[in-house]
Amino acid sequence: WKKEEFRSCDQTPFCKRARSRSPGACSLIASDVSIADGDLLAKLLPKIANQSDEDQIKPLVLSLSVYTDGIVRLRIDEDHTLNPPKKRFRVPDVVVSDFDEKKIWLQKVATETIAGDATPSSVVYVSDGYEAVVRHEPFEVFVREKSGERRRVVSLNSHGLFDFEQLRKKAEGDNWEEKFRTHTDSRPYGSQSISFDVSFYDSSFVYGIPEHATSFALKPTKGPGVEESEPYRLFNLDVFEYDHESPFGLYGSIPFMVSHGKSGKTSGFFWLNAAEMQIDVLANGWDAESGIALPSSESRIDTLWMSEAGIVDTFFFVGPGPKDVVKQYASVTGTSAMPQLFATGYHQCRWNYKDEEDVAQVDSKFDEHDIPYDVLWLDIEHTDGKRYFTWDSALFPNPEEMQKKLAAKGRRMVTIVDPHIKRDDSYFLHKEATQMGYYVKDSSGKDFDGWCWPGSSSYIDMLSPEIREWWGGRFSYKNYVGSTPSLYIWNDMNEPSVFNGPEVTMPRDALHVGGVEHREVHNAYGYYFHMATSDGLVIREEGKDRPFVLSRAIFPGTQRYGAIWTGDNTAEWEHLRVSIPMLLTLGLTGITFSGADVGGFFGNPEPELLVRWYQVGAYYPFFRGHAHHDTKRREPWLFGERNTELMRDAIHTRYTLLPYFYTLFREANVTGVPVVRPLWMEFPQDEATFSNDEAFMVGNALLVQGVYTKGTTHAAVYLPGKASWYDLRDGKTYVGGKTYKMDAPEESIPAFQRAGTIIPRKDRFRRSSSQMDNDPYTLVVALNSTQEADGELYIDDGKSFEFKRGSYIHRRFLFSNGVLTSTNLAPSQARLSSQCSIDRIILLGHTSGPKSALVEPLNQKAEIEMGPLRMGGLVASSGTKVLTIRKPGVRVDQDWTVKVL
Amino acid sequence: IRSSSSPLNDPFLGISPQDEKYYKSSSEIKCKDGSKRFTKAQLNDDFCDCADGTDEPGTSACPNGKFYCRNAGHSPLVLFSSRVNDGICDCCDGSDEYGGNVTCPNTCWEAGKAARESLKKKIETYKQGLVVRRKEIEQAKVGLEKDAAELKKLKSEEKILKGLVQQLKERKEEIEKVEEKERLQKEKEEKERKDAVLAAHPGKGDSEEKKTDDNEKVDGGTDGAEMPGASQDQDDDYPDEDTHHDEIGNYKDFPTDEEPAAEAEPTSILEEATHTNPPDEHIVDTKKESPSSEDSLTDGSQNDASTKREESDEVKKVDDLVSEKKEELSKEELGRLVASRWTGEKSDKPAEADDIPKADDQESHEHTPITPHEVDEDDGFVSDGDEDTADEGKYSDHEPEDDSYEEEHRHDSTSSYKSDAEDDLDLSETTTSNPTWLEKIQKTVKSILQAVNLIQTTPVDKLEADRVRKEYDESSSKLNKIQSRVSSLEKKLKQDFGPEKEFYSFHGRCFESKQGKYTYKVCGYKEATQEEGYSKTRLGEWEKFENSYQFMTYTNGDKCWNGPDRSLKIKLRCGLKNELMDVDEPSRCEYAAVLSTPARCLEDKLKELEQKLEKMMSQDQPHSHDEL
Repeated sequence: WKKEEFRSCDQTPFCKRARSRSPGACSLIASDVSIADGDLLAKLLPKIANQSDEDQIKPLVLSLSVYTDGIVRLRIDEDHTLNPPKKRFRVPDVVVSDFDEKKIWLQKVATETIAGDATPSSVVYVSDGYEAVVRHEPFEVFVREKSGERRRVVSLNSHGLFDFEQLRKKAEGDNWEEKFRTHTDSRPYGSQSISFDVSFYDSSFVYGIPEHATSFALKPTKGPGVEESEPYRLFNLDVFEYDHESPFGLYGSIPFMVSHGKSGKTSGFFWLNAAEMQIDVLANGWDAESGIALPSSESRIDTLWMSEAGIVDTFFFVGPGPKDVVKQYASVTGTSAMPQLFATGYHQCRWNYKDEEDVAQVDSKFDEHDIPYDVLWLDIEHTDGKRYFTWDSALFPNPEEMQKKLAAKGRRMVTIVDPHIKRDDSYFLHKEATQMGYYVKDSSGKDFDGWCWPGSSSYIDMLSPEIREWWGGRFSYKNYVGSTPSLYIWNDMNEPSVFNGPEVTMPRDALHVGGVEHREVHNAYGYYFHMATSDGLVIREEGKDRPFVLSRAIFPGTQRYGAIWTGDNTAEWEHLRVSIPMLLTLGLTGITFSGADVGGFFGNPEPELLVRWYQVGAYYPFFRGHAHHDTKRREPWLFGERNTELMRDAIHTRYTLLPYFYTLFREANVTGVPVVRPLWMEFPQDEATFSNDEAFMVGNALLVQGVYTKGTTHAAVYLPGKASWYDLRDGKTYVGGKTYKMDAPEESIPAFQRAGTIIPRKDRFRRSSSQMDNDPYTLVVALNSTQEADGELYIDDGKSFEFKRGSYIHRRFLFSNGVLTSTNLAPSQARLSSQCSIDRIILLGHTSGPKSALVEPLNQKAEIEMGPLRMGGLVASSGTKVLTIRKPGVRVDQDWTVKVL
Repeated sequence: IRSSSSPLNDPFLGISPQDEKYYKSSSEIKCKDGSKRFTKAQLNDDFCDCADGTDEPGTSACPNGKFYCRNAGHSPLVLFSSRVNDGICDCCDGSDEYGGNVTCPNTCWEAGKAARESLKKKIETYKQGLVVRRKEIEQAKVGLEKDAAELKKLKSEEKILKGLVQQLKERKEEIEKVEEKERLQKEKEEKERKDAVLAAHPGKGDSEEKKTDDNEKVDGGTDGAEMPGASQDQDDDYPDEDTHHDEIGNYKDFPTDEEPAAEAEPTSILEEATHTNPPDEHIVDTKKESPSSEDSLTDGSQNDASTKREESDEVKKVDDLVSEKKEELSKEELGRLVASRWTGEKSDKPAEADDIPKADDQESHEHTPITPHEVDEDDGFVSDGDEDTADEGKYSDHEPEDDSYEEEHRHDSTSSYKSDAEDDLDLSETTTSNPTWLEKIQKTVKSILQAVNLIQTTPVDKLEADRVRKEYDESSSKLNKIQSRVSSLEKKLKQDFGPEKEFYSFHGRCFESKQGKYTYKVCGYKEATQEEGYSKTRLGEWEKFENSYQFMTYTNGDKCWNGPDRSLKIKLRCGLKNELMDVDEPSRCEYAAVLSTPARCLEDKLKELEQKLEKMMSQDQPHSHDEL
């Protein structure tokens, strides 16, 4: 990482300015409060009238809206009726279209004078438990509980750091240029930044605002006891060899912060803004000299938000539970798309699988070693000179045949398509994009010409819906010659990466459709690209099948379009470790379908690290091995038989759990609750979990602890809550609320099933997930102290959008009073049948010694015997035997009961 | 023909014939790992009872299970259970797919026929290869004996010659001492004379003295130049040792494409230099031309935008460059530099970076412009002790040889082998056929020494002195040649030629394969290179055989930027000719290739193959009845 090539806050004037402001500097007051179209409207004016016309501060327009389930949206912009030089950019196509339907039409404003204030404040209804307050003077907005102590939840501008630089007309002699290294930003509109402080109450920690390679609980960046630190930066950048511990911004930006506190309550704040953002987390006492005292100052966390451009379009989420907050955020930006089943399996990638023979060879080696995988990936070298949508005819003369060969084994292929287009007049895509005027323009209005893989390149202007539609059309079988229905897409370099641009990206004064400056849209560029590609694949399949597109750049809403990965990590233990906080953060902020490159992109992992990475990676929502072309080959069979066995077992573990993962993906698709979760999302009251980012929950039932240190065979594992946990490997029981020193031999990392849950599995091994369709299920019933357990199973056809029309199976399994019952959770019109049976039910923690079970409505008896916890597992095969109901013979799509006798 | 059977019809599905007894002997069967017992009803009941899969040989229920297909008409096959009823036909008899998901046609007869044919062909190759191999072994024996004999002879010659050289050296030094004395005397006299003159004519001395010095210098120079001129020997064209030494190198290493070394005309070590002449001139020419042709090549590539394949080049310290230079770079250069971090590509190149010959190659070309001067030195002085750095070859799979039998189907690479002429000259033969040269020298030296001895008094007879000098120079140059030959022979004899010396013929031989724009050249016991036009990349120096002579490894090749030193691992397999093929770079800068060679046509393996065929044929008989 070359620090000097990227701007620090000090080298970024808007950030430097905002960061040096003192609390209380804001002189704006709210006035003219009214209700219109169901919103609260107000004007923000300087408290003291303008000194001169020169520095005229025009009133800003504030609007506050309320949505169901405890969401407050606050927007502040310039007054368009006062003819500002330009309309400030409002990020389109991120807030889901049906969000407006959730709006609560405000009828009236109540007034209330806050103690000590000279003027009254305006109060509006949010939900039964919450209300929003617009304090007029000093200007402040906050959400609070209605009852009791009327505890504050989240507030904005409580420290008076609000600042809004208005657009100005350039006068003679004005020079607003900014220089950084060899680059000059012309800044034709001058400074237009916005900053403000946000406070979270009853907060032990704040989380979120990816993408950074850092701890899950965000460390303070400023204030007493904090070492000199940069703020958390949100600016999508292609960072070569990133550090594993840095507030520096990586490939994606999600300005959504979540707070969680001892009371178990969670709240959130989201700023929809695509310009560069910098966020400080302020250490307790940072404001000591300001004289500002806020109610419930204790356990409050203050933050400072700074953005280079755009408007204030912010969302307050009241929670109060962790899952409530993520659901509230999802109702604004959408839940994650339901992936095809294959995409939840294992992906094998490398830069590069060189040619068709190489592909065939790697594919056959998986079979030879009985290691399942679902997707083989081709990086940039497969193209004809980095011209996307083409093939190197020497290396890949028969791409369709190659894909068909893979497809015959149920496997897919992914090729890379990046947004930089080679400036080559004989390249059809460049010709067309040039003719149509579809490229981003430089500040002089010419097609922007930057350097990327193909050399001189231009970039498709993804901000335009028309251009996106055109782009989507490039993926039709007709246009993408050599593509087949089993081919899916990988969008890389979409920050966008521009090798010779400032900070390896596009100049901020480049222009998008409608005269939008790149600085205003930068962080969303990759999002629109991802969107266009994903929509293109849907169109390719005539709307029938779900797309699969992996993106590197991220923005709020990315979850609707596909998976993401954490970019170019390194084959080091610390990068394995930091992958967990990174994925937890992404999941918390909506992007649940995410993963880190297993093995680490740069460098050569020692076999032990690689094995551990597979063991952890098997639980990543997106599970892909990838490597840089300078590294040694590292497919799982290249490190000796023992290591092959270990990696195969890790991958098998994933495939065994696919029904559970798929059910969790459906949960995320419906609710926005992530597949991989921080412990405190399941145990919000358990303070010991708040800063734990070494362990994670997969769904509500599985706790996984990675091993992140070389040569370790033990791991300290904190098992939260009051209920017990069953070791996934040997069924041993552990009481919750304690830290244990657990065995972590080379065969496995510690993983536990929570008492009271039921996990569906498929225990048969196949070449890929495709062949598992008809295989029988195993249910692992982990009983709690009251001999009860509960779980779900979601099944659909694994690939189409038919599930949206009710074509799915959703079962609930409940074990209670010695009876396991399967009931339908799907709406009555949902229909899908399956021949799959449940052929094994494992009972963990059953207190009596039953010998048989009665299956209804078949009225048959099934034997109960002692069996292994997991078939074929490296540990369990020699481990504890557990109560197993043998062949109950029930179908997965039907109601039944199994009564233990 | 029924292509699939039903599990109900055959409770013993998936069990191999050897195992049938195990399953049929009792009503309660033990899991093979001893963990459990199961009933006959539980055999193949699609529910896994044994962790090791004993109870489910015919279903996919057990993760660790194995499924046996008879494949009548072909060879039986053992599958992972994961393949049973997965909708994909794995057994040629279709027995793995009875679940109704898919209908698998029985293809065993055709496949079996093809396999038998292929096996027969393979056996034929082995048989013929064995003959070649035996011949090679015979030749190796002869060759090794010759080498040993030559070495012995050379060593005794070396000893004698060393003595002579020593004598001559002493004599030469004596003469020089005398000459020095004379010179000093002369100088002294001169000085005295001059002083006298100076005393008579003060002021003029400086310039005169200077003049005298100049004269002396000229004289000295002339003397030196005249020395070899007085020689009568035929190889006296070589005035200085160094040049001579190099030329030996040239000769040895120059690839004699046209004529294999074995046919090389016997040459006396004394005549060697004369023979060296023509190729040496040729090399010089090449050298002269190479800079310009290199230029034109580079120019050509710059303009060539059509080459698609991007081969990353090595850039040293790109990052430093980026940091240092960034401020002065053009936009394009900056783009290249940043891109090069990920790719390792050389960045300061024009647009079609991929098409330019490698930077390293160009460098190495300058240093070793395909003429093998340095290589020869390596040959003499590089130690063998590099085994620690040997790559363990993790990428390469140590698969059984069967899998690699594909000779007949190869047509994707052109391949040829060439001798690199080194050490292939049978010098021993010529030295024996020409036994008098040493005696001649001995005689000459003796006469010189005697002659010079006669005139021990000053002044030295200039002619005699020159004779001594010349004889000394020639003898020591001959000694050098012999010594270098001795050391290369000694090195050769230390090489691992295989248990039966079957790889002896690899010594001094190169095998070539052209793949795309590259020519790969592998020289036995020496080095492996990748050549493209005039640029050459060293893939490695000879390291050793691995896995009981199944692999040859070359390591410590040219350094890769951001990667390991280049290395090459060659899989050896039986073939009638020595033929290099399938050169590939599976991991960055770790190359792999296949070399077919009679040396790997082993008798045991042949027997094994014949048994296999026998089995195939015998097994085939009853089932072909069935087919009828």
